[in-house]
Amino acid sequence: MFGVSGGFLLTPILMMIGIPPTLAAASDSCQVVAGSASGTAAHLRLGNVDVKLGTVLLLGGLSGGWIGVHLIKSLRALGVADLTITVTYVVMLGMVGAFMFIESLGSLRRGAVGPKPQPSPSGHGFLSRLPFQTDFPRSQVRHSVLLPFFLAGLVGILAAVMGVGGGFIMVPMMIYLLGMPMHVAVGTDLFQILFTCAGVTYMQATTNHTVDLVLALLLGAGSTIGAQAGARAGRRLHSNQIKILLASVMLVVMVKMAGGLLLRPAIHLTPVQGH
Amino acid sequence: MTALSLWAAAAGTPPPGVKVTPDVVRMGAFYGGATVRVEGARDADATIIVAVRGPTVTEVFNHDGRAGFLWVNTAKVTISEVPSLWLVFSSERVGACLPRAVIDQYGLDQAALKKQMRIQCQACDQGQIAEEYLNYKAMQGSYRRASGDFRKVAASAAGVSDPSFRFEFEFPRCATPGEYQVRVLECRGGEVSASLEVPLRVVEVGFPSFISGMASRHASFYGMLSVLVALLAGLGIDFLAAQLFKRREAANLKSR
Repeated sequence: MFGVSGGFLLTPILMMIGIPPTLAAASDSCQVVAGSASGTAAHLRLGNVDVKLGTVLLLGGLSGGWIGVHLIKSLRALGVADLTITVTYVVMLGMVGAFMFIESLGSLRRGAVGPKPQPSPSGHGFLSRLPFQTDFPRSQVRHSVLLPFFLAGLVGILAAVMGVGGGFIMVPMMIYLLGMPMHVAVGTDLFQILFTCAGVTYMQATTNHTVDLVLALLLGAGSTIGAQAGARAGRRLHSNQIKILLASVMLVVMVKMAGGLLLRPAIHLTPVQGH
Repeated sequence: MTALSLWAAAAGTPPPGVKVTPDVVRMGAFYGGATVRVEGARDADATIIVAVRGPTVTEVFNHDGRAGFLWVNTAKVTISEVPSLWLVFSSERVGACLPRAVIDQYGLDQAALKKQMRIQCQACDQGQIAEEYLNYKAMQGSYRRASGDFRKVAASAAGVSDPSFRFEFEFPRCATPGEYQVRVLECRGGEVSASLEVPLRVVEVGFPSFISGMASRHASFYGMLSVLVALLAGLGIDFLAAQLFKRREAANLKSR
């Protein structure tokens, strides 16, 4: 329904019930493949996937992810990686969540009807003068290919730094910066998540041997059914209502993470992932 | 000679007077812990201690500390010379029946474990880290200590001379496959009058065993298989959902 993989919620929950962090993260990305495949297929039938723009976003996201992985390596060497990750999480979730919540609530109060695409930001000015201007008919926008590639690259960097799929940043970015309709943003995000998580699952399986296929299938069974129901429920909701729901989830997670930063932890030791 | 010393005489084979059931814990797809029974003979005035120990491991942690008003990871901590699993059960309080030196020798309480563990970290309070580690393992269910609950049973039930004991404990679900040791100590007069170890194997069986074997031996194939299976599962459920919703929509149209 939201176009996010849910990794930013599910991995901590798995860790809370006693699954080792490495296993939780890797198995989660495997189950996201199942969930996003199911969600993408459902959205494809509903005409909500912009394959052309999704491919550009995917390439940008992968490039940004590569940069992010090396950035986090440098931050770890400096000993500030964990602080950077947590603070980035809180700031990004807080900013994007609060903006989306306020903006959508305002639109609902003003009585906006039906999903309304945001005006394309590249209609005039600097962005319209960028090379490789392309029409993305499914998303009803015209942009230089460089814009979504660059923006997805930034999200990829953030996603790699934060260790998540990045859907919760990507969807708001698609809506507010690329001007895509909410439903198409959700479907297109699931499309690119499918490929990203398939790559991550393969790498985790070959490098760390931490993919638990049985656990992933059990989780995947739940998430695929949820994705189907979500894709259909999303059609019945106003796009502003979906945005408010997503923003609420983001703000709850942000508050929980901010609490983790400010409140004294019960246990001061956290197992190191990948060990 | 005590009952346990008689068992100890038969080194290398399961002692005739003590029985650990099952001797192999099998972790299948739906493994959620197992009940392990230890039974045997003891002298009337003896205290029995059952200590279960997993393989010795090294673990790496991030340690949280304060940076200004924020709690963040401030150091990397490596803890070694610790058992992956540590369970101690006794018919009386361990501290009441054995002196400190003996408790340390057999690693029968948290203080003994603290003395055995090696902690590597820069500028950290090792005592606090050790305490934190024990709390972490206790919360995880891997470290546990309890007194009492050693039931006396009829001689015929245990198959050994009177008086006998039987004790059952829950082998935790968080345990990993490996070679574990169940040590049974008979204590009297402030010393260990007999001690013996019975191995307890924990193995993966069935589908989990097949999967973990493939994951380590054919990692690349396993990676591709994981993606493919997840993809097919997702598309399969999408297909089923599409059929289901199509039928519902058709039924709705008919009813109109």
